[in-house]
Amino acid sequence: MKVLIVGAGEVGFHIASHLARENKDVVVVDKDSAAIRRVSDNIDVQVVNGSGSSPVILQEAGIKEAEILLAVTDSDETNLGACLVADLISPSTKKIARIRHADYDGYHEIFREQAPHIDTIINPDIEVVKTIHWLMNVPGAVEVGEFADGRLVFVGIYLDGSARLSGVRLSDIYSRTGKKSPLISAVVREEELIIPRGKHRLKAGDLIYFISKKESLMESLSIFDKQVEPLNRVMIVGGGSIGFRLASLLEGDSVHTKIIEKNPDRCSTLAESLNKAVVLHGDGSNQELLREENVQDMDVVVTLTDDEETNILTSLLAKRMGAPKTITKISKFSYFPLMSMIGLEQVVSPRLSAINTILLHIRTGKVLAAKSIKGEQAEVMEALALETSDIVGKPLKEIAIPRGALVTGIMRENRIIIPTGESVIAPNDRIIIFAKKQAIPQVEKILAVKLEYF
Amino acid sequence: MRWSFILNIIGMLILFLGMCMLFPLFFGLYYRDQSVIPLAQSMGITLASGASLMVVFRREKVEHISHREGMAIVAVGWTAIGFFGAFPFYLGSEFSTFVDAFFESVSGFTTTGSSILTNIEAVSKGLLFWRSFIQWLGGMGIIVLSVAILPFLGVGGMQLYKAEVPSPVPDKLKPRIRDTAKILWKVYALISLVQVLFLLLGGMDLYDALCHAFTTMPTGGFSTKNASIAHFDSVYFDTVVIVFMLLAGINFSLHYQFLRGKPLAFWRDSECRFFLGTVLLLIVVVTFNIYGTVYETVGRAFRYGAFQVVSIVTTTGYATADYERWPAMSQFILLLCMFLGASAGSTGGGMKCLRVMLYLKYCYKELFSLVHPRAVKRIKIGGRAVPEDVVRSVLGFMGLYVGLFVFSTVLIAGMGVDLVTSIASVAATIGNIGPGLGMVGPTDNFAQIPYLGKWVLIWCMLLGRLEIYTVIILLVPEFWRK
Repeated sequence: MKVLIVGAGEVGFHIASHLARENKDVVVVDKDSAAIRRVSDNIDVQVVNGSGSSPVILQEAGIKEAEILLAVTDSDETNLGACLVADLISPSTKKIARIRHADYDGYHEIFREQAPHIDTIINPDIEVVKTIHWLMNVPGAVEVGEFADGRLVFVGIYLDGSARLSGVRLSDIYSRTGKKSPLISAVVREEELIIPRGKHRLKAGDLIYFISKKESLMESLSIFDKQVEPLNRVMIVGGGSIGFRLASLLEGDSVHTKIIEKNPDRCSTLAESLNKAVVLHGDGSNQELLREENVQDMDVVVTLTDDEETNILTSLLAKRMGAPKTITKISKFSYFPLMSMIGLEQVVSPRLSAINTILLHIRTGKVLAAKSIKGEQAEVMEALALETSDIVGKPLKEIAIPRGALVTGIMRENRIIIPTGESVIAPNDRIIIFAKKQAIPQVEKILAVKLEYF
Repeated sequence: MRWSFILNIIGMLILFLGMCMLFPLFFGLYYRDQSVIPLAQSMGITLASGASLMVVFRREKVEHISHREGMAIVAVGWTAIGFFGAFPFYLGSEFSTFVDAFFESVSGFTTTGSSILTNIEAVSKGLLFWRSFIQWLGGMGIIVLSVAILPFLGVGGMQLYKAEVPSPVPDKLKPRIRDTAKILWKVYALISLVQVLFLLLGGMDLYDALCHAFTTMPTGGFSTKNASIAHFDSVYFDTVVIVFMLLAGINFSLHYQFLRGKPLAFWRDSECRFFLGTVLLLIVVVTFNIYGTVYETVGRAFRYGAFQVVSIVTTTGYATADYERWPAMSQFILLLCMFLGASAGSTGGGMKCLRVMLYLKYCYKELFSLVHPRAVKRIKIGGRAVPEDVVRSVLGFMGLYVGLFVFSTVLIAGMGVDLVTSIASVAATIGNIGPGLGMVGPTDNFAQIPYLGKWVLIWCMLLGRLEIYTVIILLVPEFWRK
């Protein structure tokens, strides 16, 4: 499969390396020769230096043979232009564009049906706001993802030293707590990802990933001694597009929201559009301002400015001044491993969200949702079990599931089955698979139909 | 630098080389000559060395090869391949010292074609086949071949490819390096096959046809005959060889485009036009220069002039005439051709036309800006502006090339070799041509070069084949610092 990526920024770069590892043919186009050099030095892909919205460059990059075009430059206009040109030259190519400006929100459908025929428009800001909202509401969660149209939730939490379950074997959870344990699909211990079995013990400091039904989420969390605290007061630092979206969402939840923004013009725009939220003009990293606004009484402080270093420092400052929980937006992937080390566990990244969403559209087989976790070490996928694929009709223990992969949930009609070795997947079940990076190509293979009958 | 990892990969390359020795062994067995034992012994040594390197340096899973490691693998790997490739020669009876065998082997792999042998026809057929076959392996690049067919390299293949096939303006034919390497080798093998067919049609036997195709396509120049192509003394063979030398001197991505149904690819490429135009011009000049003075008819002057110009400019190094008897002007043009070389992305050596073109354009730009001090001018190739850093790296390359040429010439001359021989032997080895002038002219060989001089020339051949940077970087102290 040939994929053409326009834009060699952080998103383009990571998608390219992700796909190249999976042996897909990737061509990356970018205007900036330094960005192109970074790609060609590090990833086994073809590169073309030039504007991605130029027909000549797209032809040179081989748009006609490409199955998918990903327009992920930082400029919405370039992305739209690239899709438009691609539509003219090669109408059969599937087009996916990242478009962030809120003004385009209402036009996604129109763009699909008319002129540029963009098959999917990705706005990572929307995804990020959703993730932040989840992180705020799920106590202790450092990662949250939705599957099965939101009926299943995938959560990552750290196990505290004081928790009942620390040092307990997975198979003993029921006898210890008297509650049925959610399915623990992975544990990250000392930067290493393990797929645990019944005899494994949980340790304090483990990052535990589990899947739970949405309605029983709070109960599942209580097993890990995470108590739900009501969310009343939120402070948002940075009133950009994500800050604004989040503030309006919180207004709907009737949460007291304060939003701090440096730019006075932007402040007045925010004040015009928001009704209940308090818009404050000032620098979020200013200690006086934070104290004045009672940062210590906030339930959550969210730092969302465009400058990630400012976000990190402001979050640290807020924590030091007494804020119980912070959520930090960062973009640079190289910072991810540092964050938990300096005590910032709740982190969101629009770029990671964009990558997740895009991967979902590239996966072969009928993959309905995908989320990569732990700095892309593993991926959780929701897929439709196709009638002719390898996984259907046999008990799970007889299927050659690749090493490092685990079927963690089966949804049949409206029931959710937590599978055992005896479970049989029926056609049209939706299954949730957890897979380490190395196992993804094989997982894709078993999900795909053996022969396409169309 | 993870040396255990680097040595592990080199072990695999050596193992691969050992397997390649099966082919000459087959010919040796077929002709039942004395090459069987040395070949079998060398194969044993090579396989055992490769396997033990691999076992000793078992590697942890590596996903990424750094730029530096890529260069180290290629530079050390090529030296090792030259070393093990020398065993069949050394264990046979024709080479008295190991350095002679090593020289012959490196000359083969680097597609130089300079030989130590005085009487080639006396050598057994199995060894002569190995001598031709290593040129074929080295022409498109043995590491490129292993990237294409061995599964072990994976992601790191790209760094190796870049170090073995350095090109001022890199072009990848396919998104993945492995596919690119496969295509290049397929095109290369296909054209070689066509040449074998043409040679067979002219009445050459299969063995000679294979050996000559294996040394024409990589622009190598080893022949199985003492008198090189002149042995056959046939206009047909001269023509076939000229055409295929020219093909080998053209960027292989153009051949690929041509085969994919774009017949105008050659014409559209400005480097290809420059290359063919220059060759034509030089042929005309040489023909007029040798007509009347050496040859009585224009036809003969053209036949020998064209063959020699093409042979030298593509850095093949076959001979049909003793050009040392030609007028000084023609000899000098041939010496110039050694520096010019063939196209980038071809199997030829030398400085490469693309770099010379860029250099000339750069000179013009400098002159232009003397006239118009405020002019903004970009250097363009084929209508596309060339990035500044590429221009800079090309200028650096030209400087290093000339500098290393001068340095090595001084070394050779310092060993008591005469001036013309010193200049020509270094030019012929650093450009991977083969025969030079003077003591190393087309009718002589490199046996008389002093012992140390052979080491210098071996070094020159590796420098030329890997286009300077990959080899010279090993001498830079910064390269070894952590």
